[in-house]
Amino acid sequence: MNMKRRQFLSTAALATGTLAMPGYLRSAFAEGDAIKVGALYSQTGGLSVVEKMLASAVQMAASEINAAGGVMGRPIEVVTEDGASDPKTFAEKAQKLVIKDRVSTVFGCHTSASRKAVLPIFERRDAMLFYQTHYEGFECSPNVVYSGAVPNQQLGNYIPWIIEKLGKKKFFIVGSNYVYPREMAKVSKGLIEAGGAEWVADEYLELGHSEWAVMVNKIKESGADVVLSNVVGDSIISFYREFINQGLSHEEIPICATVTSEIEIAAMGAEYAAGSYTSFPYFMSLDTEANKSFIERYRAFVGDPAATTYHSLEAAYFQVFLWKQAIEASQDTTAEAIREGVRGQTYAAPGGDVKIDEDNLHCWLTPRIGQWTADGQSQIVDEYPEPIKPLPYAAYGEAADNLFCTAQGLDSSKL
Amino acid sequence: MKTLFSSYHVWAYLAFAIVILALPLIGDEFWLNRVAKYLCYGMLGAAVALTWGYAGILNLGQGLFFGIGAYAMAMSLKLKSYTSMQQGSETPVPDFMLWNAEPGAPTDLCCITPGSWLWIPFQSQWVGLIVAVVLPAVFAYIMGRIIFGQRISGVFVSIITLALVLLTRLIVTDAQPLTNGFNGLTDLGWFTVFGVELDPYSKVTYMVVAVALIIVLALTRMLVATRAGTILQATRDSDTRALYLGYDVPAYQSFFFAVSAGIAGLAGMLYVIVAEFASPSFLELSFSVTMVVWAAVGGRGSILGACIGAILINMLEARVSETESLVEAWKLIIGFVFVIVVIYLPKGLSGLAHDLMSKLQSAPKLSSVQKEEAHQ
Amino acid sequence: MFDVLFIGLSLSSILLLVALGLAVTYGAMGIINMAHGEMVMLGAYVSVLANIWLGANLLVAIPIAFVVTALIGLLIERLVVRRLYGRLLDTLLATWGIAIILQQAIRLEFGLSFFGIHVKGLGSGLQNVPVPQALQGTVSIFGQDLNAYRIFIVAMTLVLAVATWAVMYRTSLGMKVRAIIRNPGMAAACGIDVKRTNAITFALGSGLAGVAGVLMAGFKTVAPDMGATMVVDGFMVVVTGGVGSLFGTIAASGLLGEFNALVAMVSNDIIGRAAVFAVVICVILIKPAGLFTFKGR
Repeated sequence: MNMKRRQFLSTAALATGTLAMPGYLRSAFAEGDAIKVGALYSQTGGLSVVEKMLASAVQMAASEINAAGGVMGRPIEVVTEDGASDPKTFAEKAQKLVIKDRVSTVFGCHTSASRKAVLPIFERRDAMLFYQTHYEGFECSPNVVYSGAVPNQQLGNYIPWIIEKLGKKKFFIVGSNYVYPREMAKVSKGLIEAGGAEWVADEYLELGHSEWAVMVNKIKESGADVVLSNVVGDSIISFYREFINQGLSHEEIPICATVTSEIEIAAMGAEYAAGSYTSFPYFMSLDTEANKSFIERYRAFVGDPAATTYHSLEAAYFQVFLWKQAIEASQDTTAEAIREGVRGQTYAAPGGDVKIDEDNLHCWLTPRIGQWTADGQSQIVDEYPEPIKPLPYAAYGEAADNLFCTAQGLDSSKL
Repeated sequence: MKTLFSSYHVWAYLAFAIVILALPLIGDEFWLNRVAKYLCYGMLGAAVALTWGYAGILNLGQGLFFGIGAYAMAMSLKLKSYTSMQQGSETPVPDFMLWNAEPGAPTDLCCITPGSWLWIPFQSQWVGLIVAVVLPAVFAYIMGRIIFGQRISGVFVSIITLALVLLTRLIVTDAQPLTNGFNGLTDLGWFTVFGVELDPYSKVTYMVVAVALIIVLALTRMLVATRAGTILQATRDSDTRALYLGYDVPAYQSFFFAVSAGIAGLAGMLYVIVAEFASPSFLELSFSVTMVVWAAVGGRGSILGACIGAILINMLEARVSETESLVEAWKLIIGFVFVIVVIYLPKGLSGLAHDLMSKLQSAPKLSSVQKEEAHQ
Repeated sequence: MFDVLFIGLSLSSILLLVALGLAVTYGAMGIINMAHGEMVMLGAYVSVLANIWLGANLLVAIPIAFVVTALIGLLIERLVVRRLYGRLLDTLLATWGIAIILQQAIRLEFGLSFFGIHVKGLGSGLQNVPVPQALQGTVSIFGQDLNAYRIFIVAMTLVLAVATWAVMYRTSLGMKVRAIIRNPGMAAACGIDVKRTNAITFALGSGLAGVAGVLMAGFKTVAPDMGATMVVDGFMVVVTGGVGSLFGTIAASGLLGEFNALVAMVSNDIIGRAAVFAVVICVILIKPAGLFTFKGR
């Protein structure tokens, strides 16, 4: 198990399966002074569908940084571990990375369950986790940098827009049965009531459930005029298909989703989603030079000319650059240095400018609403002019002038 | 019966005990923590072998008992964790209850969420400890009484246990205000014995797990060698005959089913102390089948064999999955190992060892083990 | 009420689709084939690949999938299962290993991804099978707008069930299989080539799973682990219905599917699924041999 074998070369080449590219990179740097980081995603099991792509995005960012001269002149060496879609394995591999490989930073995790399972390891051993997936909030760890959206960045703009612009008054809330959809539902209900509309149901299905006949029938009979979907994973595909197949249409009762991304749309067939909406800070269809170049580079990197990009993937990519800037700002690679260095870092990401918040280590992102079209892409129908501040405790009354989570930690007396 | 008591078994148990007790001399804290987890799995393997190998009951829901043990301990340790409790309150509650509570609910364990009062006894870690072992055993005994009382056997027992574990998983995941659902219980405190905190990464914790495993193995081995154990094996080979000989077959079966469940609960409890989380993934079908595979590879007919099988497979898995070039292929390799072992080594590694020992015994030259035996 | 019954019927037919193949292999051969779900998965992938590489639509993919998965089933029988007859629980473990191998083989594109070769339609991602226009949306029957694809599934399941029945009760192969179910030793003594019959039976069961996979591909996600949970449902149906009884399997899938739909409708899907597990446990406790069974010796 000696570390010499774990060259970046083999890591990148195997993780992407295609490229022999980093071969020339190794010679550009002296041996042994590489900065080791972990990439902890599921390479096997049900979640590998999504997580493998996140791992490639991290690999891609690392190889781009290396090609441009590394971090403080040192190359990045990515140690890839397989979380195997199981929190048990995630915890075990996180231990291995943090304690045995002594990396100060791990990019990884996708589900909240896996993040929660590894969190104690990072906190007790003081290492940093960079986590890219949009999540439910209610976390204020000094050891995690969250580059994905929190509920206020996905719903704060979305619900009022549905009520005002789409003129919808009766929400049917449906989600997978775990904490993220339940928290999203909680935040939504507040916003729905504040907007003068009502919700008629709040229903949940087992994660991975693919039998939607009963639920769609309930939607049909509920009298709702809009569906708010917090369904995650492959359940999404069978949901949209069943929705259309039972004769519902997005013109009358649009599905407004918080999780449905380009990945699921491609897998279900674009015709099933055409006309529905999703709220994300990033869409593949964003018409900017930075984004086009990003998509092109990503496709070349994974060797798939039709590969799709989406919110978490973009966040997985740009978080590596924020990490790099953090190290360069504090000129050190310890967890403490990264934590302090990353505060307030900004980066021109493919989806626009992002910034790590000084207070809570979450990410400033631009809320956007996309409507899915028949070609599987989205048309941006609403967009904030600039990034907004992340508020992980928004559901409990957190506001920009009344922060619960600050650099000093969580002020739980406010909860 | 002679081979059952032949003394190389004793030597094998002793050697195993010495090896796992000596590991702290050579390993670092990270490695020890990992091995401690595998020892918990080893205990599970032994529990599977006890019912499958000795009673002929294939329990495809052993994860249920492991899960109960894990959750009982995790509830206690959750209530001991300062970081995951609501701060600055006189009646702290776990963090996840806060976000699952109805607005305006009193922040007290008694009534913050429906059923949260169930947590109150777990404020003592000893309650968690006892519940973790006793509840699975009692539950299994009642289950066994019903199942075996109906003279249900073979694959039907497997289907019932399987349905039960999946049913429990659904309930645990759904009862989010009580169990934190899919995310499981994380951010736990440490177990304290006589003022010593069991840091999962300390040698003390490792030794606690190792000693527990040795005691469990020894007791289980003694148990199957008793008259009750012999009757149980008779039941496995022909329950009708055992019944006609006048034995209360369901009672024996239920008893061993309960012992096995208690061991699985203990393994779950120790796992939580070492791994610092409990999750509904313990209740997944794949985990329960995996433990059966451990026992099959190690040898279902041997308590120690199944235990070693579990430890070896997990070491192999870790080794292979962390070899960079195999990170994507490791499951493929594990799959092939299962198939090959089942086809070519039906009695598992312990069967192989047993055959080798028999060959040695029949050889004219005495092995060193037998010389020792001769001295006794 | 009618729509609930229809949903129940469609849930039943999906259960039956998976269980049919299992009823054949488990009932006749005493093989607990944990890789059955993976055969369903392979069938689904056949339809994905047939669509991409041959431009074949879902209907055309059905016979292709049957042949492909039946051949793979035959291969598995020859290489592994054959060595394990009479070791019921060992077949469970070995086929569990096979299930892992099959999943991973799809994920790694049969190992080609190691060499940087990517096959469109394989890999760890989600796949999309286009559904023919005629099967999208709703069809009006008795004044009810019903899901066209579900009607298609119910009809196809009916066809497959009848075909399976015909094979089992109207052909010489079926007679041999039924003889083996009753008493393999006596069947062999009567001159039935048990090994050969078993191989064909296993291939038949796998082929049925493959067809189920194609039909599933039309409304479920096609992904390497899509079959993992199906085998459990399938087994529960077969065991509840009574081992070796085709009619029992059909009745059990009807019972469990309708029950699931009713409970899910009045409460929610999670309770609905939990209720199915509870029913299975109760049926086995009350009638340990299953709902419908013949008197065995």
